[in-house]
Amino acid sequence: MISAKHIDKLRETIGEKNVLTTAEDLLAYSYDATNLWSHRPDVVVFPACTEHISRILQYANENGIPVTPRGGGTNVSGGSIPIKGGIVLCMTRMNRIIEVNKNNLNATVEPGVILQDFNTALAEEGLFFPPDPQSFAGCTMGGVVAENSGGPSCLKYGVTKQYVLGLEVVLASGEAVKLGGLTPKNRTGYELIMLFTGSEGTLGVISKITLRLLPAPPSNQTMVAVFSDVAVAGETVSSIIASGVLPSKIEFVDNWTFEKFRGLLPDKILDNSQVILLIQVDGLPAAVEAETEQIAAICKNTAGEVRVAENTAEAEKYWQARSAHFSDISSRAHTIVNEDVSVPREKIADFIRQSQESARKHDVPISFAGHVGDGNFHPVVLTDNRDKEHFARALKCVEEIIEIALSLGGVLSGEHGIGLEKQRFLKRAMDPVAIEIMKQIKHLLDPNNILNPGKIWEESPDEDQS
Amino acid sequence: MKTNLDYAQLSKRREELDKCTKCGFCMSYCPVYQEELTETSVARGKIMLVRALLDGDLTLTDEMENQLNKCTLCMACAENCPAYTDVPALITAARADRTDKQGLPYAYRFIYRWLLPRRQLFGYAVKIASWFQGIFLPKTKGTIRHLAMFLSALGKGRHIPEIAPRFLRQSVPEVNLPPEGVKTTVTLGYFTGCMTDFVFPELGKKIISFLTNNGVEVIVPRGQGCCGAPVFLGAGDFTTGRKMADSNVRAFKDVDYIITDCATCASAMKDYAKYLADTPERAEEYAAFGAKVKDITEFLVDILQLPAEAYRVAPEYRGKTVTWHEPCHLGRHLGVKEQPRKILESLPDIQYVEMPDADRCCGMAGAFSIKHYDLSRKIAEKKIASIDSTGADIVVTDCPGCEIQLIDGITRKNMPQKVMHIMELFE
Repeated sequence: MISAKHIDKLRETIGEKNVLTTAEDLLAYSYDATNLWSHRPDVVVFPACTEHISRILQYANENGIPVTPRGGGTNVSGGSIPIKGGIVLCMTRMNRIIEVNKNNLNATVEPGVILQDFNTALAEEGLFFPPDPQSFAGCTMGGVVAENSGGPSCLKYGVTKQYVLGLEVVLASGEAVKLGGLTPKNRTGYELIMLFTGSEGTLGVISKITLRLLPAPPSNQTMVAVFSDVAVAGETVSSIIASGVLPSKIEFVDNWTFEKFRGLLPDKILDNSQVILLIQVDGLPAAVEAETEQIAAICKNTAGEVRVAENTAEAEKYWQARSAHFSDISSRAHTIVNEDVSVPREKIADFIRQSQESARKHDVPISFAGHVGDGNFHPVVLTDNRDKEHFARALKCVEEIIEIALSLGGVLSGEHGIGLEKQRFLKRAMDPVAIEIMKQIKHLLDPNNILNPGKIWEESPDEDQS
Repeated sequence: MKTNLDYAQLSKRREELDKCTKCGFCMSYCPVYQEELTETSVARGKIMLVRALLDGDLTLTDEMENQLNKCTLCMACAENCPAYTDVPALITAARADRTDKQGLPYAYRFIYRWLLPRRQLFGYAVKIASWFQGIFLPKTKGTIRHLAMFLSALGKGRHIPEIAPRFLRQSVPEVNLPPEGVKTTVTLGYFTGCMTDFVFPELGKKIISFLTNNGVEVIVPRGQGCCGAPVFLGAGDFTTGRKMADSNVRAFKDVDYIITDCATCASAMKDYAKYLADTPERAEEYAAFGAKVKDITEFLVDILQLPAEAYRVAPEYRGKTVTWHEPCHLGRHLGVKEQPRKILESLPDIQYVEMPDADRCCGMAGAFSIKHYDLSRKIAEKKIASIDSTGADIVVTDCPGCEIQLIDGITRKNMPQKVMHIMELFE
């Protein structure tokens, strides 16, 4: 617990209305979109400018107060949960789009801008920022960078780190530092912007972001293919890519969430199938048309039903059904354990088969969804943490799934980050020397361990002093 | 540690409460969150607060009450919730438990429990207030004045139309037959609602004549009262709400259709069964009553199926550009989205333009706009900007509450648009 004196000081620093302390406020900042973790902060503060962040961090650093930076709180790693209490530094009110520059193909924003609002502003200029985490409706740009977010479009366009040109970051000491710049090419010293991109709020607080943009593709086409066998769907994805076409998105949902597709696809097909692939191609109209034909022809060899959306409205419905997957599956069980492994594309079918076997062995329901085009999967194990025996089996299955992904040459987290949720697997998934380097970098930048403490790696007993 | 039984209404909706998966999609849709940008404003935050209340982790503090009140029940979150969480039902249940445990402040108790259910007396109170209004308050330009005294104490100087000198119920007979030569095809009950009765009686007369001219016998039952929306949805007073529901059910027991010109009234009356049915008899009665309730545009398009030529635009509005504000209670709560647009698009004498985000909440939401007036105004500003962008001469809608909010916002911005009910367009 921090003292009343500290809270008074924060009020004095950034103004009464930007400091929240009621029991209701603290509860509302105790969670993110995960369901196994929560912890209340002692105070929630809303900085309005970089200067505010500097002063808050300087004070927190001098007094050893934990600070957890947070945007929309839509992350699914536990990353924005103030697990050690202290200050939640909520960036939602720093939400100005400072500049969108069509000539430079870049934009500069404050960290609290909501991704969807950013994309709406870009669309007016015919521009496009590709990363599209499925929390786009509420997630903020600071979080997008700090979590190095992905999403469906990353198959063709890459993840957030491919778009970060420049950052302003406030260090634990309160000092603000400018990194990178406005240009797509920049070979000045170490790539320090990459250190903070994906740092999960543990190394500094991102206070300004310059992003590379792309011209919005003039047209796109969505198609869906329905399969009766999960592994066949995986193999079809490999065939599409091997045929020399790179769709902007290839997404995968299994029959746990077919309800969202009722009315869009025939019941008879849905009732007898296991998987839907949603595929989008984009670019110039002629290319889109040719690629659509090519992909549809490949899918027709293996799928029970292939449908090309007739108009934007139909396409939107498919994507809405896809976006709703996480929430939909979450509502099917008291507790879900949602993983985020990524495997090399050619191992997709192996990964699914082996994971299904594991789920059968442990007798737990499993659902798969994800960005299958780039091998990034969200296997979800459905369980109930009130039922200790079931929950234990579920965790065993999750552990095995991760082992399967790693043994196939994959990684522990494709896009969600480690946060709290995946730290127990970190030692297995990362070279111990690399973990040690991370800890040293953390110590160099945040010697008093005030920034988002308790995240990414498990603390050894002597580290956990709060 | 509190037990679940302390919160009877919330306990009943435990399953609904657990549907929320905290994904945060609601942030993108919640008009309150978009102004405040704090987690307690948005559906996810409120649900977590209510869950904590039920689990005994939080108590009914002033701040909890403040947060429960700070929701327009616009339903935008619920409509877009991937987990199908009925957020308005949870907020309403929490308000009911709050009122059950803590009662209502004196002024509200007086108005809601005592005055509103007594229709005749409420009419006199409004009348007296309007009389004082003329004496004590300066008149503002045109038809707009500061609101009557007893409401202005709550309304902080909002610009709204004056109270009518003669109420609708005093101006029309109980039974209104089609004119001679026009065959009666259907008989319905007209639920006038407080606003049409006391503030916009001319609208009521227009609706009655429109309907009778089209072969409808219109009954205006004298026994009808307030729909109860501010009482059971706004203040969470289910006990009084039930009394109001019972008297409305009685007043309309002999008709097959009940039409309203107010989406809020229609939606509240359809909600009797959902919130107020405490016995199997009431459940049955309220469900049957709710099934008869139709919004006026829904009735005209779906039931009466009037031909396009039945809608004759009044001469003074011909040639005008008209835009449509979709009330939350009409579009999301009642699911009436197409019907008013169908009417507007069919009119050859006006130019219809759809405003951006026509279904976005205007921020009125009854008592919400009184308790959180500044917030309500900020929400309205986005709506007013949408209206401005259309260049329309007239904004029509289907909810007198929304009308008041739009008039207020447009007047503040010195914009030229006339705000009116969709039915006022016609001869």
